[in-house]
Amino acid sequence: MKRQGVSFTIAKKRNTRTVLSYHAMILVGMVWLILFNIVPMFGIVMAFQDYNPVLGFTGSKFTGLENFRYLFSMSDSRRVIVNTVIIAVSKLVLNILVPLAFALLLNEVRQLKFKRVVQTMVYLPHFLSWVILASVLLEIFGYKGVFNTVLSLFGAEPKIWFSEESYFRQMIIFSDVWKEFGYNAVIFLAALTGISQDMYEAASIDGCSRWKAVWYITLPGIASTIVVVAILGLGNVLNAGFDQVFNLYSPLVYSTGDILDTWVYRIGLLNVQFSLATAAGLFKSAISFVLIVISYIVAYKAADYKIF
Amino acid sequence: MVRSKSLGSKIFDVFNTILMTVLALSCIYPLWYAFCLSISSKSAANSGMVTFYPVGFSMASYQQIMGDAQFFRSFLISTGRTVLGTAFTILVLVIFAYPLSKPASEYRPRNVIMWIVIFCMLFNGGTIPWYITMVKYHMINSMVGLILCGGVPVFNLILLVNFYRSLPRELIEAARVDGAGEWRTLFRIVVPCAVPVLATLVLFTSVGYWNEFFQGLVLSSGERYYPLQTYIKQMVVNVQTTNLSMDQIETMDKLSNKSLDAAKVFISMLPMLVVYPFLQRYFVNGIMLGAVKE
Amino acid sequence: MRKRIVSALLTCALTISMLSGCGSDTAPAESTPPEEQESDSGSTQAVTAEPSDEVAFQKFPEVVEVHVGQGVSTTDSLPAGLSVDNNQYTDYLLEKYNIKVVVDWTAANGNDYNQKVALCIASNTLPDAMVVNREYLVKAAKSGQLYDLTDLFQQMQSPQVKEVMDSTDGEAIRESSVDGRQYAIPATEVETGSIQTVSVRQDWLDECGLEAPKTLADIENIAKVFMEKKPAGEDTIAIAGPDKNTSLYPSFQDTGATTGGFEAVFSARDAYPGLFLKDESGNVSYGTDTAAVRETLEFLADWYAKGYIDPEMGTRDSTVELINSGKVGMFFGAWWVPGYGIGDAYRNEPDANWQSYPVLTDDGKYNVRTGSVTSGYCVIRKDASEDVAKAVIIMANALLRDENTFDVSEQPLNFWPIRTLMAPADECEYTYHELYNILDGKTTPEDYQGITSAYKLLASDVAVVKETVPGYESGRQLSVSDFSMDNFGNFQRMYSLLVGDRPYSTTPVDKKVKSCIFSQTPTMESKWANLLSMEKEMTMKVVTGKSDISAYDEFIENWMAEGGETILQEVAEY
Repeated sequence: MKRQGVSFTIAKKRNTRTVLSYHAMILVGMVWLILFNIVPMFGIVMAFQDYNPVLGFTGSKFTGLENFRYLFSMSDSRRVIVNTVIIAVSKLVLNILVPLAFALLLNEVRQLKFKRVVQTMVYLPHFLSWVILASVLLEIFGYKGVFNTVLSLFGAEPKIWFSEESYFRQMIIFSDVWKEFGYNAVIFLAALTGISQDMYEAASIDGCSRWKAVWYITLPGIASTIVVVAILGLGNVLNAGFDQVFNLYSPLVYSTGDILDTWVYRIGLLNVQFSLATAAGLFKSAISFVLIVISYIVAYKAADYKIF
Repeated sequence: MVRSKSLGSKIFDVFNTILMTVLALSCIYPLWYAFCLSISSKSAANSGMVTFYPVGFSMASYQQIMGDAQFFRSFLISTGRTVLGTAFTILVLVIFAYPLSKPASEYRPRNVIMWIVIFCMLFNGGTIPWYITMVKYHMINSMVGLILCGGVPVFNLILLVNFYRSLPRELIEAARVDGAGEWRTLFRIVVPCAVPVLATLVLFTSVGYWNEFFQGLVLSSGERYYPLQTYIKQMVVNVQTTNLSMDQIETMDKLSNKSLDAAKVFISMLPMLVVYPFLQRYFVNGIMLGAVKE
Repeated sequence: MRKRIVSALLTCALTISMLSGCGSDTAPAESTPPEEQESDSGSTQAVTAEPSDEVAFQKFPEVVEVHVGQGVSTTDSLPAGLSVDNNQYTDYLLEKYNIKVVVDWTAANGNDYNQKVALCIASNTLPDAMVVNREYLVKAAKSGQLYDLTDLFQQMQSPQVKEVMDSTDGEAIRESSVDGRQYAIPATEVETGSIQTVSVRQDWLDECGLEAPKTLADIENIAKVFMEKKPAGEDTIAIAGPDKNTSLYPSFQDTGATTGGFEAVFSARDAYPGLFLKDESGNVSYGTDTAAVRETLEFLADWYAKGYIDPEMGTRDSTVELINSGKVGMFFGAWWVPGYGIGDAYRNEPDANWQSYPVLTDDGKYNVRTGSVTSGYCVIRKDASEDVAKAVIIMANALLRDENTFDVSEQPLNFWPIRTLMAPADECEYTYHELYNILDGKTTPEDYQGITSAYKLLASDVAVVKETVPGYESGRQLSVSDFSMDNFGNFQRMYSLLVGDRPYSTTPVDKKVKSCIFSQTPTMESKWANLLSMEKEMTMKVVTGKSDISAYDEFIENWMAEGGETILQEVAEY
């Protein structure tokens, strides 16, 4: 009895100490989180105000949902949302399909050294900033750029590719897929290594062709990974890539290339419509939040995968 | 591996090798292109003669950069920001993620905090409230500002939490039985196991700090405080289309120096090129460990 | 990359920006000011003490610190050791007036600068003074962040500045006011910059035995003959058109005339597309929505169909380059184009005798449309002390008076802190007449030394005019062969003034039309870009025959439906 009591007290003490250390561990992170993530969030009230900088968040007049009503009455905002969704969804789909295809093809390469070199090279663009890549891409696809030089061999007219309304979206999607395909393939390549080699050997003995092996062994083997990646991408439907578009676009291509984030930047900062910009940003966050929650549930239910 | 070598299969191998080569080359082409421009003569670079190899070899651009104090200042700022910022961030994440990796039964506030964290990943007040807050904190022209202003990198935090959770419980239990405190357990047992993930996070975080340009612009009161990417951004892509005056256009044409621009761009890529091969071997594992645990 | 953008936007930028080139070097004179007949005058004259030099250039007994936000050009730099707040201009201000300039922040002109201004407004952390555009001026004024300059400016402005302000008929002050109070020191532009003339190859006219054009019918006839005789060979183009970055006519916000656009043709048919017009009874209409515009579009489409206008209009990279190539017989452009704008045309062909003429209506009337007179606003923080506000006005006074006394070769004028460039609205015309006085021997360059007036470049202009125009003969129209191109910069300036601005300097104006608004209303902020691009597309398609005139009717309908109606209401209430 006595012994039990002692061990109970020790356990309890120990427990309290553990929780205390946990609190301490949380502390630094939470201070950072509160000061730099949460405090600026109070600015969201601007979305429901006619914000006046002198009066501040507390003194400005509340206007309810007026900013949102106005936001959706603008033909601009519809255009921007359409652009955003087109660009983001295309990126989503292609950023799964292209890396998948690449992973499958690379998996067929049998010289390991070559494979490793290719892998190292294709990851590279992922680590370069859009500022840098934009400066180089604008050059390559510029009027006197390499791309036009090559095209002119086939007699095509030179164009400033990132300044053409009708090509801008494709250029954005294409350059993003190019930048990320190597990196995005990592996850598939890793999943591929998880497939037992025995199955391939068995198939090969049965006289199964390589194509069939891919279809009946490889793809099913990584199907769950594909599903998870696809579901996780759902939250990005309104994320068309601020850094990329911001560094590549120009007024000439606003009609097809302006996305929510760049538009919010312009109306908020350059046209000083602070409240409207915040409302648009909030709209985006809210939609993304809902989509993430959905993808969390779907991933958990369908693939038994817990995101966090 | 015994696979039949049919003709079709061989043809496929050839094409596949070619395709892979082309893709791989396309990925390093921008780098190569910037390099070629940077060591070409100014006139060749400006007239668009440089395509796949340098034309009219010249080191003038690099000599010019040597005399460009602002470029070095920005380079230093970026380096400082990246090194200090990465060290700080990783340290905080290592500690912060640990309690969050415990089940709610062991650490009750865990779920609440986790949702707050997730919420922070998805919502933000936008640039303007954020800027106002930063001004209040005196984060303008400050290295601390450049490091802290982005807030906690929630995505990386989740990656680490997921990894911690995947560690065998016995490992930690064993440490406990030995009487080790939580801090000790964390740094003696857990962290050494997490090296691949941490290497990945170091890569992500440092790339993030190095590549960031927008905060650098907003939180600086002038060029002398710009980190490198901000400096390059204003140098290469800041030519405003509508506000040019006649004399500006003329000077710009005279001053336009693609070779010099490319040299700056190339130098700014270098640190990534140096660091990345060392961390590359970890990051494949790291992503897998953190993200996909089935 | 710069080059790419430059080439793509050369013309467009030229149009907009030439004015600043002109403003920084121009001269004075007494011109017969064109008869004014504005519908919307109503001056805001404050009744205060007459401006005087003692007040306007006073030296503070103690150093006054002025904190500024400064735009910097990415292409200009200072010699080593100097900086934005330590250069000949800041030295000058400190020494002469005890004004110490402290630069709180700098940002590259353009988006970066505007972003900085917006953040300052949003966070209510304005520096003492900075230069902003009209949108920011209105926003900050309405939020109560700006110093009310209504009375102080009247007291403190120098006689020269007052001269400049008066030359705009109070328009500049009105533009810097919000709700009737003046919140900014305006930067002003010359008026002629927004007026198009027709420039013709006089040597071609002579070759074909034609008279100089007066009306559109004359221009049409000349075009017809040019296309028959083809003075420049098979690919002769009678009339140049706008390039791909230029529209057919400027919008109401633009300050300058287009190069290659056709607003002069519209004006000569009493049509003023792109402007917001207010009639006597206060009704507001959009200038594009008139029968005259519709007919003029058809008229131009007819010219195009007949091959008078460059068939590649709207798709060319640069109209200026086309003109420089020597294939063009006529074009429409502002006063500066024949000199500053097409320097290469004379380098390629030294006897290309471009001459500018006004475009008159069929019954000989001269209608012109003019743009905004202001191009920027220097604002002062509301909480600034009165001394700071005074100091900022003194800086503007000093800039206008002493601008041309600095050596700008190493330290460009862009580094003048919070620079508000001021040009009297009639600077070019005034200079034109004074230059003729010199040429005719009525005055001598010495007569202009030591006079301070708002026409700050007059002294240097009169000094070089004789050597630049050695072939001048009284009573005969100047031709390109009368000019010396030894100093090409002087040649360009003199040619622009004496030939390019001749139409506006010498032709009495019968009707002057300007937009009743120069800044965007709230609805425009979101819708204007879209409406404007619709309009540009429509006009281009109609003229080039890709659409028939029904596209115009459709456009008007859509314009009204997609925000135009609301915008008209807002303009009326403005």
